[in-house]
Amino acid sequence: MNAPTPGGKAAALRTRLPFSEREAPFGYALVLPAILYLTAFIAYPFAMSVWLSLTDAQAGAQKWNYVGMDNYSKIDNYDLVANDFVLFDGKDEEAKAFAAAKKDGKVVTTPDGDRFKASLQVAGHDVPLVALKDEGDATYVATTILQDLDWQAHGGKVVAHSADSPLGFGNYGDRGEAKKAEKESLLVKAKTQLKANGTGVQQDPNFILSVKNTLKYTFGTEIIKLFFGIPCALLLHRKFRGRQLLRGLLVIPWVIPIAISGQAWLWILDSTYSVINWWLVHAGVITPQNILNFRGNPDLAMLSLVVINVWRGFPFTTVVILAGLTSIPDEILERARLDGTNALQRFAYVMAPMVRPILMVSLLFSVVFSFTDFNTIWIITRGGPYDQTQMLATYAYQVGVNAGYLGKGAAISLFLFPIMAVTVFGMLQSLRRENM
Amino acid sequence: MANVVLDKVVKRFGDTEVVAGIELTVRDREFCILVGPSGCGKTTTLRMIAGLEEVTAGDIRIGGESVTYKAPRDRDIAMVFQSYALYPHMTVRKNLSFALELRGLPKQEIARRIDEVANIIGLTPLLQRKPRQLSGGQRQRVAVGAALCRQAGVLLFDEPLSNLDAKLRVHMRTELKRLHQQVKSTMVYVTHDQVEAMTMGDRIVIMNGGRIIQVGTAMEVYDRPATRFVAGFIGTPPMNFFDGELRAAVTLPGGLELPVPRPDLQAKAGRKVVLGLRPEHIYLHANGRQNVSKVPATIDVVEPLGHRTILTARSPAGLLQLEAEAMPGLKPGDNVDLFFDLERAHLFDQADETAL
Repeated sequence: MNAPTPGGKAAALRTRLPFSEREAPFGYALVLPAILYLTAFIAYPFAMSVWLSLTDAQAGAQKWNYVGMDNYSKIDNYDLVANDFVLFDGKDEEAKAFAAAKKDGKVVTTPDGDRFKASLQVAGHDVPLVALKDEGDATYVATTILQDLDWQAHGGKVVAHSADSPLGFGNYGDRGEAKKAEKESLLVKAKTQLKANGTGVQQDPNFILSVKNTLKYTFGTEIIKLFFGIPCALLLHRKFRGRQLLRGLLVIPWVIPIAISGQAWLWILDSTYSVINWWLVHAGVITPQNILNFRGNPDLAMLSLVVINVWRGFPFTTVVILAGLTSIPDEILERARLDGTNALQRFAYVMAPMVRPILMVSLLFSVVFSFTDFNTIWIITRGGPYDQTQMLATYAYQVGVNAGYLGKGAAISLFLFPIMAVTVFGMLQSLRRENM
Repeated sequence: MANVVLDKVVKRFGDTEVVAGIELTVRDREFCILVGPSGCGKTTTLRMIAGLEEVTAGDIRIGGESVTYKAPRDRDIAMVFQSYALYPHMTVRKNLSFALELRGLPKQEIARRIDEVANIIGLTPLLQRKPRQLSGGQRQRVAVGAALCRQAGVLLFDEPLSNLDAKLRVHMRTELKRLHQQVKSTMVYVTHDQVEAMTMGDRIVIMNGGRIIQVGTAMEVYDRPATRFVAGFIGTPPMNFFDGELRAAVTLPGGLELPVPRPDLQAKAGRKVVLGLRPEHIYLHANGRQNVSKVPATIDVVEPLGHRTILTARSPAGLLQLEAEAMPGLKPGDNVDLFFDLERAHLFDQADETAL
């Protein structure tokens, strides 16, 4: 190291390349635009929506006030409700006799300390039902159970069930109070529920529905896409005339913008002119009087969205699986033939495990695609009928932009983030394990 | 008994005839090498024996039984592929046992065979690894092991050493040959490398253009090549060829007259011939040998190999190569007299290239 160099002292001083020749500054210069882009269009909006979700921001409001987590969850009070009261629990025959004696049953209300206890007298049994502060309320609840509820005797039990809505047992300011009231007022076993009323999105039934819809839409479509994608890819993997053409045609649904194909779907699903209805009527399956209202019936609307998503997304799944199949060397499949596999075993033991890593990547993309899908829903149903097909993306838009509650909208859209992060993390983990 | 008989086997892809009706009998337990340049049909022939390629015409029999229309799994064969074809998602042990499990062999028998094979080819420490954790040579061994486990009557090898580096290839060559002495299988081995062919096989089948040109032991095809193609294909450095005319002697361009001692060819005087002479049969010194012809030449390139030296020289008849002793003391540009050993000369017909 310390040997004298021919260049002398001046040459020895220079320990680095000139600035213009170094690689690091050039590298940073190349990365800079990407960093600026990510900061301006990803990081900043994300941070901004996190901040928005913590305020009471509304469209047109002069000032945003910090409200903490109120947009996510803010409970004002609880409704205590109950259903499925167990009136009798014993022998099977006795239970049947008990249920049969319903019409001869009587309600007896007696004072019990500072409360009034309402009991049911049926077939010689005395069943205490409720103990309430108001005599009229107690009698009313017991009478409802006797007269309006449907009694079912099954397995030695008689259960009174309300088909339309559970019975209310008052409104309480906090959870502890409601729990205490439940213990004091309900004398029979029943399914009780505390319904939180409030202004946070978690207290919004439409939000709960949109979370359920999003999960259904994402994972439901994913399973169907795989169900069609795998056989389709296996078919296209075989050599036959016109294979290239078919492969090209396959991706058409994927490459047509949904704004355009959506219009075609709107016609297909039209309430008056639907071609599906035309076929069904002409095939004699339905009459013109009860044609299907695809976008008006909540279940059919959801089904339509799933079908359209699958129609759009399954070519991608197919192409990815096909790419995976193509990447399997011929020699491995030939060896599998020599080893004694039939076609099914070849798929199960050799092809499927080898395609799995790439399949996971396709699943990842596809899940993100469906999870964040706004276009399809907005074009086809706008979340309707009456919000039954709202997904997180559309509902966030509905609340945040259309209704102007920016803070709540931001809170809804941020609900996507942790779910998505966990899903993606899990998939990447399993992918990494695969490659170990 | 697992001999392999190819009876007028033809393979056509569309209009292209890749294998043109070959006839070959590979004897039981023989190590038979199919060798030839790329596109000669040797791999297609092997794949037809394996059942991976349909036979256009003709019949293939293994152990006396026709297998022409049998699925690969129903033939008594195992194959080692050029790219090893290991299942990447299975451990080495699973790679070895897969075919056996499919055939429903009892667990103990599978374990016994794997232990035995792993011992023979040194796989025991690798059994729990996945293929990607192995080096090229180890993967090669696993591929061979998987084929051996099958205990099939016929083992097929499709250029199994061509993906290995030179040193490993030489090592595996020896190992495979030793293996053949240990196992009871008939082996059919495809290669384009004539050194592999010469060193490994009991018999060599030389193919070209979809036909079998010559079948014989290494020394037979080396010493008595049936055609000019075989003569040029077998041996490194390759045989020197000179176009000439057969008269009382063989006349080469540049006015060289070489009195080849072939009295049997008197009748064919006047014919255009090719004279072939291996590099080791051209000498720098006559050393009192009979039947040598002196040819003047100029040294062009000197390539020392250590134990020998390859010299390339320009003669009136054209460029030629010869093998000299380790230190000939020559440098490019030196003028020398070379001695052609006419006893060892081969003569081929210029038109149909067959040996005369």
